[in-house]
Amino acid sequence: MLFSALKDDGYGAYAPDPLFLKIPPGWPKPATNIFAKNKLTEQGFQLGKKLFFDGRLSKDNETSCASCHQQFASFSTYDHDLSHGVHNSFSTRNAPALVNLAWMTSLHWDGGVNHIEVQPLAPITATNEMGEQLDSILIKLKKDTVYSRMFKAAFGDPQINSQRMLKALAQYTGSLVSSNSKYDKVKRGEASFNAYEQNGYEVFKARCTGCHKEPLFTDNSFRNNGFALNRFKDIGRQQITNNKKDSLKFKVPTLRNVQVSFPYMHDGHVFSLYQVMEHYRAGIIITQPTLDSSLKNRIPMTNKEKNDVVYFLYTLTDSSFLKDARFAPEQIVMRKYSN
Amino acid sequence: MIRLNSSIKFYSSVGLLFVAVFTMTLSSFEKAPDKNGTLRIIFINTANGKPVILRDSLYVNAFGEQYSISKLKYYISNVLIPGSGQLPENDSYHLLNAAEANNNFELSLKEGAYNAIQFLLGVDSLRNCTGAQTGGLDPTNDMFWTWNSGYVMFKLEGTSSSSAADLQRIEHHIGGYKGDNIVAKLIHLNFPATQLLQIKEGGTTQLTIELNLDNYWKNAVEIKISETPLCMSTGILAKKMASNFPGLFSVKSIQSKP
Ligand code: HEC
Ligand code: HEC
Repeated sequence: MLFSALKDDGYGAYAPDPLFLKIPPGWPKPATNIFAKNKLTEQGFQLGKKLFFDGRLSKDNETSCASCHQQFASFSTYDHDLSHGVHNSFSTRNAPALVNLAWMTSLHWDGGVNHIEVQPLAPITATNEMGEQLDSILIKLKKDTVYSRMFKAAFGDPQINSQRMLKALAQYTGSLVSSNSKYDKVKRGEASFNAYEQNGYEVFKARCTGCHKEPLFTDNSFRNNGFALNRFKDIGRQQITNNKKDSLKFKVPTLRNVQVSFPYMHDGHVFSLYQVMEHYRAGIIITQPTLDSSLKNRIPMTNKEKNDVVYFLYTLTDSSFLKDARFAPEQIVMRKYSN
Repeated sequence: MIRLNSSIKFYSSVGLLFVAVFTMTLSSFEKAPDKNGTLRIIFINTANGKPVILRDSLYVNAFGEQYSISKLKYYISNVLIPGSGQLPENDSYHLLNAAEANNNFELSLKEGAYNAIQFLLGVDSLRNCTGAQTGGLDPTNDMFWTWNSGYVMFKLEGTSSSSAADLQRIEHHIGGYKGDNIVAKLIHLNFPATQLLQIKEGGTTQLTIELNLDNYWKNAVEIKISETPLCMSTGILAKKMASNFPGLFSVKSIQSKP
């Protein structure tokens, strides 16, 4: 026992530094304790970050998670309705911002993913995203001694397997907490809204929080907010439940950092927040049988109200999160996009 | 080292005292430690009374439809031997794969004679939604749906001239762990009264369970290849197909080895 503990594998002793997911003041507890069976540590987080930025997780060795989830766009794909996968392919959905995932009860626009740890399996294996097989990734990672060292530091021995890779990725993505926007500062009494923002907030509370619930700006439910079936025939939630009542329902997205996560909606077909507001005011297709009952009369708003809501939405931008060096890669990574 | 030793001595003498008191209190109502033997459970797959050989033989189902098999994989979990006083195994999810030679696993069991075995064909609902797994449940085993999280509990692939699908494929990926869509089935098999499962200390008893594919097509419900060559998502069809699961298994033999 003693001997095996002392046996030197060349990577030094195992001494992980525990981390804790901070719950911002006034926020509810996370929906699920995503770190209950995945002890959050500095070493696990760093390994997850390296994996997130590593193109070797994809078939062409270039399409990393970060190629579609860019920090300055709140980890969505900046200015792209759809994202670029391997071999000139396109995703069929818009890459959502990755924030406050620990508070989400399911992932993806249709809620098909039931746990943050298994989420990466979807983009990794999808031929129009990373197009790779788990076995091949593990072979690539095992060839790199930097990884052996980091797996040991995170998990106690240098063994590399899919479970550890997925747990490490979850430590990184689950730590992406954005809670320092102007809105948060106002809530904490450290700042105040100007007149436009305040008016926008009042309108927002009256018309939007039924779905975009504070402070996470989503209630984790699936709703139809009145767009037509798109060219990919994406029926959303119905694909998961096989229930016609769920046709065209999508997960209510968070609105945190919504200013930088354009374009919008599950297929990115709405390019600006003004267009979003116009959709809610006048564009909702009210004949759809599964349209949310709260939207039957659309959302009547004056031009001033519409503009003020957009000013309010800008207060959800958390620039300290968008620039947080902790979430940024250690080295410059190749960018697939020329912005 | 010396310092360490002396402190161990100190703690161990305190520990001894504690253990002594503890065993004295317990021994009044605790039996002697269990004598354990090994139960090896072997799964064999048959169709038309012949062993299933992948990609090789042709089989015929109850509707006269000919087919061959290229993949046959399924999960067995939560194994319980009633009367053993042991809880069902909880961290063992056995992926049985007809492509592999060793379709067996072992359990340690208290000495005794048992009259039944119980197990789940599939993966219990809880384990379908608790994140990344390893061992039999590792997603590298290609039994996990990535776009609609959850395990494929039973996978049969092959070809049939009765299949109207592309390349005359049969592709049955049966899964579902939520509410109405649950397909995992509890299987209970009794041993014949004349041949109970005997476990002897230090010995190995071999239990062979047969999965008979003839019952896969026709038992509680009828599954015709012409009507159902494909089933690759959760829902009503998967549930219907799973209703034949309990009839798939029977006890083939029990052999004791000293
Ligand atoms: C080719 C672009 C692309 C790549 C590469 C990619 N993603 Fe995504 N990501 C998306 C899209 C598109 C969605 C929405 C998927 C859906 O709803 O079906 C998404 C959704 C997500 C979500 C769910 C967010 C939510 O709010 O529901 C997470 C978490 C995520 N990705 C993490 C990752 C990780 C980790 C990787 C690397 C293993 C990765 N992504 C690689 C495009 C990509
Ligand atoms: C009935 C529920 C509901 C109400 C009320 C509602 N929304 Fe939404 N909202 C949604 C859903 C669902 C989506 C995603 C739809 C999709 O992807 O097709 C969405 C998407 C959005 C988006 C796009 C976010 C992104 O990242 O793509 C914005 C911005 C938005 N809503 C703002 C608002 C505002 C402002 C209001 C009030 C005027 C409002 N919503 C009222 C359900 C609602």
